[in-house]
Amino acid sequence: MAKAAVDVPPKGGFSFDLCRRNEMLVKKGAELPKFRKTGTTIVGLVFKDGVILGADTRATEGPIVCDKNCEKIHYMAPNIYCCGAGTAADTEAVTDMVSSQLALHRYATGRESRVITALTLLKSHLFSYQGHVSAALVLGGVDVTGPHLHTIYPHGSTDTLPFATMGSGSLAAMAMFESRYKEGMTREEGIKLVCDAICSGIFNDLGSGSNVDVCVITKDGKDYLRNHQLPNPRTYVSTRGYSFTKGQTEVLSTKITPMKEKVEIIEGDAMEE
Amino acid sequence: MEASKLEHEVAGAHDALRFGLPGVKSDITISHPLQSIQVSQKKRKEELKRMVLMNTYGSALPLKMDLDMQILSRFQRLPGPLPSSMLGLEALTGELDDIGFEDYLNDPRDSESFRPVDMHNGMEVRLGLAKGPICPSFI
Repeated sequence: MAKAAVDVPPKGGFSFDLCRRNEMLVKKGAELPKFRKTGTTIVGLVFKDGVILGADTRATEGPIVCDKNCEKIHYMAPNIYCCGAGTAADTEAVTDMVSSQLALHRYATGRESRVITALTLLKSHLFSYQGHVSAALVLGGVDVTGPHLHTIYPHGSTDTLPFATMGSGSLAAMAMFESRYKEGMTREEGIKLVCDAICSGIFNDLGSGSNVDVCVITKDGKDYLRNHQLPNPRTYVSTRGYSFTKGQTEVLSTKITPMKEKVEIIEGDAMEE
Repeated sequence: MEASKLEHEVAGAHDALRFGLPGVKSDITISHPLQSIQVSQKKRKEELKRMVLMNTYGSALPLKMDLDMQILSRFQRLPGPLPSSMLGLEALTGELDDIGFEDYLNDPRDSESFRPVDMHNGMEVRLGLAKGPICPSFI
């Protein structure tokens, strides 16, 4: 079907302007920066009344820890939250965008968002970008049809499981889940198991570390326990901290240079016609 | 999406830092795999939607929507600093209820090199009185 030319104002989006230049530079022998290694432990499980999500709080930048207390559990809707592993900016951008779409959808329909809607939006988006948007997600929420837990891989494939882990610490965390998970857990048992799974990621995986964030979602609402556990407090040599008296830094020498006036005013006509 | 590419200066100096060394081949080929994905994805989605509508409501509805789309896409503001919002077109295509990268990343109106087009020149180009491209305002 031939379509008449539709001439609409230009829109934004990704800019590919520098790709050609970078290609040229690579051909000339320049070395482009490599992708940085990412690392995370994120988990989720279904318990008696809903879903519990958990995450560590370390953000890495290759071999460097660049944030010791970042947030990896992102808001999607009042009843849906999403843990993100992979490139931090990608997980943030994708979850923000889908949460905006869910909000628009809620305004249009006047109903609570469903987890399956969020899942479909996320997976269709990620699949259409063919893994270039590197976001591995654990999506959890409670809607009219009950509690749901899904994992989404960067290429857009999804799983629906009673307990799920993602990120580089997923193996350590999955070991805890596989040995101790049972159906119909209470809230306390669930939080304990999630914390233990995250802690096993924190202590056994170099890409994960710092604190434990937990988010409990039930029919009645969510309970976001930020920094629920602090297994790695900052340690000092002195237990009582440090206090410095005034004048701790010795002044070795003093030299004062008075500022000279830079502009010299000369008598006469400043303005010439 | 493909319109988000920076405009080449046809007559002026070629910006090698932005576009690489000048060449006909590099102008035609697509520089990043993602770019071709975006183009083909858009086309495929439109075709899929058309097919669904055709199978559900008969072939008349997509044809009618095409007509509507043409009418709505021509209904624009005068060329100038204020771009058309294309509200009717977006409502028809469903883009109104959607938020994507193109809505908040690299908005051409936020660009530091954005210069509003000259209204008279733009109108002449649109009506076929002058040959394109629309020049930014003559200063």
